[in-house]
Amino acid sequence: MTHPHHEHGSGLDAIGHAETVLALGTAATVVAYLAAAGALRRRGDAWPWRWDTCFTAGGAALVVALLPLPGGEFTGHMIQHLLAGMVAPLLLVPARPFTLVLRTLRPGRPRRALLTLAHSPASWLLFPPLAALLDLGGLWVLYRTPLLAATHDRPLLHAAVHARMVAAGVLFTAAICQLDPVRHRWSPLTRGLTLLLAGAAHAVLAKTLYGTPPPGTAFRPDDLHTGAQLMYYAGDLVELALATVIAVHWYTATGRAHHRAVQSRVPPVPHP
Amino acid sequence: MTGSPITPSAGPPVRAGRSLTAAALIGVALMAAVDEIVFHQILGWHHFYDRSTPKVGLLTDGLLHTAELLGLVTGFAWWADLRRRRALSSAHAWAGLVLGLGAFQLYDGLVDHKLLRLHQVRYRVPDLLPYDLAWNAAGLLLLGIGAVLAVRAAKAARTQR
Repeated sequence: MTHPHHEHGSGLDAIGHAETVLALGTAATVVAYLAAAGALRRRGDAWPWRWDTCFTAGGAALVVALLPLPGGEFTGHMIQHLLAGMVAPLLLVPARPFTLVLRTLRPGRPRRALLTLAHSPASWLLFPPLAALLDLGGLWVLYRTPLLAATHDRPLLHAAVHARMVAAGVLFTAAICQLDPVRHRWSPLTRGLTLLLAGAAHAVLAKTLYGTPPPGTAFRPDDLHTGAQLMYYAGDLVELALATVIAVHWYTATGRAHHRAVQSRVPPVPHP
Repeated sequence: MTGSPITPSAGPPVRAGRSLTAAALIGVALMAAVDEIVFHQILGWHHFYDRSTPKVGLLTDGLLHTAELLGLVTGFAWWADLRRRRALSSAHAWAGLVLGLGAFQLYDGLVDHKLLRLHQVRYRVPDLLPYDLAWNAAGLLLLGIGAVLAVRAAKAARTQR
């Protein structure tokens, strides 16, 4: 033990280590993304700079979520989870990371392995209702079982819960947005209804947290109220953004179909 | 069918019902946003969570609140699509917008406040009745204006034909 400033108990050093590893991993991923995008541009591919900006901002959101944040304990925890589980995925997914990997990898074993994985039953994870269940189900387990209280003095469990939040958020956002190439295309209706149920589950959980804290925790009431309202309204904003992604996709796709119909002077098919 | 040079008879049909529905979705969401911003946030009259709210109220509120947000985006996308196809009837869209505003106001006043008891118009006032009456009268008034606009839009569409 060579730590002279060992003042917050034995847990803090380990939390610090886990967070440092996660932050470095995030930074390395952003650097790899920027390098790959640069390589694509040098060989003449079009790769919009806004996607680089998006991915970098997403990485920054993930790193900020690892820092100690202002406000009460529960409010700070909520800001972290909103940044890591909702804002960061919303910035990472539109940067098309999977498309970038597929374009960067030369034909060979890693690329084949990735495509095999994408065509395996694992692609069902991108079935929107399943992705929503994994994301929102995990959230209900975290706040409605003693899990949150258990993470308090177990740094590794805390890091695992945090990583799951990011992974489930990315999975859900990718399943709703469908910007990267996917095996199964789900209709805007399927994705919209999934978003409706997921949003409702999020809003209901936020309202019940206002009245009832997670089991085994003792947050101050005002802290709990601020955190719950933050969860409710931030959830609204993220939901609006996701719905806009689906709507813009639908609008451009039907616009192309409409344009083709007008160009070829084919009378539009009457609705049944 | 006097095929004028500006609107050829083979032009796209105007979708009156869809114009009304798309704008009504926007109207419902706009009134929900006004409720959230003015009465919850600025005036602080409504409570975020009322301890007397039953479970079914919370669930319904979560679903409808989310549906309003999605309705806003759906309504705008639908409206933009009709406009681009020159199938939008402005008169029907205005009627739909006002009908949507009124429908949400009345629904909020009767179902959310009274039936589901999510929260009340205002707390710590001697008598809640005037607030409830004013709230629901505003909803009825908007519905009435919307109905008048819808009838006028339908009449105008008939004389054009």
